[in-house]
Amino acid sequence: MNWKSTIKLIAATLSAAILAPALAQDAPVRVGYAISRTGPFAAGAQLSQEPNYIMWAEQVNAAGGLSVGGKKRKIELIGVDDRSEVETMVRSYEKLMGSDKVDLILPPWGTGMNFALMPLAQKHGYPMLSPTATGRKLLSLKNPYFFPLLQQPDVMMVALAEFLRARGVTTAAMVHVDELFGLEQAAALERAFNEKGISIIEKKSYPIGVKDLQPVLRDIKAKNPDAFIALSYPPDTFLITGQSKALAFNPKAFYAAVGAAFPVYRDKMGVGTVEGVMGLGTWNPKTSPAANAYFDAHVARWKKEPDRWASAHAWAGLQILQQAVGKAGLDRKKIRDYIASTEFDTVIGKIRFKNGENVSTPGVVSQWQSGEFEVVWPPQRATAPAYFPKAAWK
Amino acid sequence: MSLWFELAVSGLITGGIYAMVAIGLNLQYGLMRILNISHGEFLMLGAYLTWLAHTVLQINPLVFLPVVALVLFTIGVVVYRLCFFRIVSTAPAVEVIEARSLLVGFGLLYLVQNAAYLTWGADLRGYSFLTESVEIAGARFSANRLVIFAFAVGASLALLGVLRFTLIGKAVRAMMQSPTGAQLVGIDTRLLHPVVFGAGIALAGVAGALLSMVYEISPAMGEPYTVTALIVIVLGGLGSALGSLLGGFLLGLVETFGMHFTSPSLKMLLSYSVLIAVLLARPKGLFAR
Repeated sequence: MNWKSTIKLIAATLSAAILAPALAQDAPVRVGYAISRTGPFAAGAQLSQEPNYIMWAEQVNAAGGLSVGGKKRKIELIGVDDRSEVETMVRSYEKLMGSDKVDLILPPWGTGMNFALMPLAQKHGYPMLSPTATGRKLLSLKNPYFFPLLQQPDVMMVALAEFLRARGVTTAAMVHVDELFGLEQAAALERAFNEKGISIIEKKSYPIGVKDLQPVLRDIKAKNPDAFIALSYPPDTFLITGQSKALAFNPKAFYAAVGAAFPVYRDKMGVGTVEGVMGLGTWNPKTSPAANAYFDAHVARWKKEPDRWASAHAWAGLQILQQAVGKAGLDRKKIRDYIASTEFDTVIGKIRFKNGENVSTPGVVSQWQSGEFEVVWPPQRATAPAYFPKAAWK
Repeated sequence: MSLWFELAVSGLITGGIYAMVAIGLNLQYGLMRILNISHGEFLMLGAYLTWLAHTVLQINPLVFLPVVALVLFTIGVVVYRLCFFRIVSTAPAVEVIEARSLLVGFGLLYLVQNAAYLTWGADLRGYSFLTESVEIAGARFSANRLVIFAFAVGASLALLGVLRFTLIGKAVRAMMQSPTGAQLVGIDTRLLHPVVFGAGIALAGVAGALLSMVYEISPAMGEPYTVTALIVIVLGGLGSALGSLLGGFLLGLVETFGMHFTSPSLKMLLSYSVLIAVLLARPKGLFAR
């Protein structure tokens, strides 16, 4: 080795030693996730979830970066398409957590996907603040890293039962989608209605992907229940609404589950048609100034409205993660402990977890009124008085 | 009485929707043995075009149907030239056309679907059109479904008429039976093939346009319709226009009555039982000759 190359080597070593800490300080926080950009889950995932992830990273980076134990570091999002396939989703997270060793993860879309990811997240020790997963079955696994943000099915159904009981409803008919979500909601609804003395005079299940429910709705119409509850998914929420209107089936209360809070539900069916329809929701721009700011930012960034249920829960999850990282740094065990033991201020109000359950957000009933999904129950959260009984379909 | 009448009409309407979804694929697969698994994707394109025309330009979806048909026909001819021409002209036997076109169809499926994702995003879309209900003998049905039903019956009968009673229809049938023989008697198969394929795509687009009046749309909407179409075609007999109409009706009726007398959750079981029963009794389909 001649002296020239020796000097070069020394220079290179020295500069590396000097530069390395500086580079490390500027290194971004790597946040990985897999989500449905294509396939049947994409419509929900791209409405309620991924736009929030991207908008959050942009807002935080524009403000200088994510505060990690006092230092600001940029966020680098690593998002991949899971194609609505559980295997692809699990494989993607295995790579993100196992070999890429990202600093944090954000959860995938949907109860089934989150259910499948839970053991892996626990194994690698990554907290999951899940905006679109609900069900006691998931909580019963007692996974310490799993924090679902939505209300549990029984909480929502008890709120609905209280709301209807307060308006003198005594009979109800229900249909539910034959799937984990529908089954659990249906069981919760039956329990809640029994307790409140509302008798369920008809109960039918139907499969995912159904294209016609007129025969079922016709039978229910003939029984003339006070309230009709559809524990449905988005395609069937649209189908049931359209066919009930065609049949002139006009119960005093008409409730549809997932999809009722989507702006596209109002846009596709028409503002007049959905007037008075109730459903799963939590918030709207009127629930708080923070909610209004979130709504405006979302519309400005994406040129589309967020949905009035899970979208804000997704945003709340990101706010919680941001606060936790600010306090606990990137030690994921510490982040988990901080999330588990702290009450957070979010876009949907205070959130505190107890044994993994969000025990702060109450069960809510929302109702379409002149193009807005108004919160009508519980009274302390209501943004408008309820229309009851619902007027005839327009 | 009125219950039975209402269930029957309801079942026929659903069956009509199934039949309409299948007409285009029946031309391609039933007559040409091109197993175009991306059928539903072209249906989706038709739905999006109509949605765009209705929401952006406020054009009546029914008035817009011929435009959809023309655009999709053109796309169909181009797709045929680019993707299927070589397969059809080099395949030694029709079975080979089936297998090879299936692979190409899968490629097209991803291509078209992802192009739709890039263009319109994954969101659900939709508009409402003819949602008011029409009363028939005391039973109520939404007008847009009745329009689809009428169109399905009309298109199936028209197709049947063309294939059976016109010279072009005769030429198409001859070409399917023996491409070489057809050429020998002066049928221009190089012209006829792309035209029939294009007509299949155009019918898929029209089906999508009509469905967009009833159901919400998304880039992923096509795949389930392809499956429905395949069931209906196999049920009715490959290439039989009347067969797929009646096959669709049979499926719709079985589902509707089954839903009423058993449980809606058994829908899949019912429809596949019908398919299996028909395949056992008449392996070539109800109306195959």
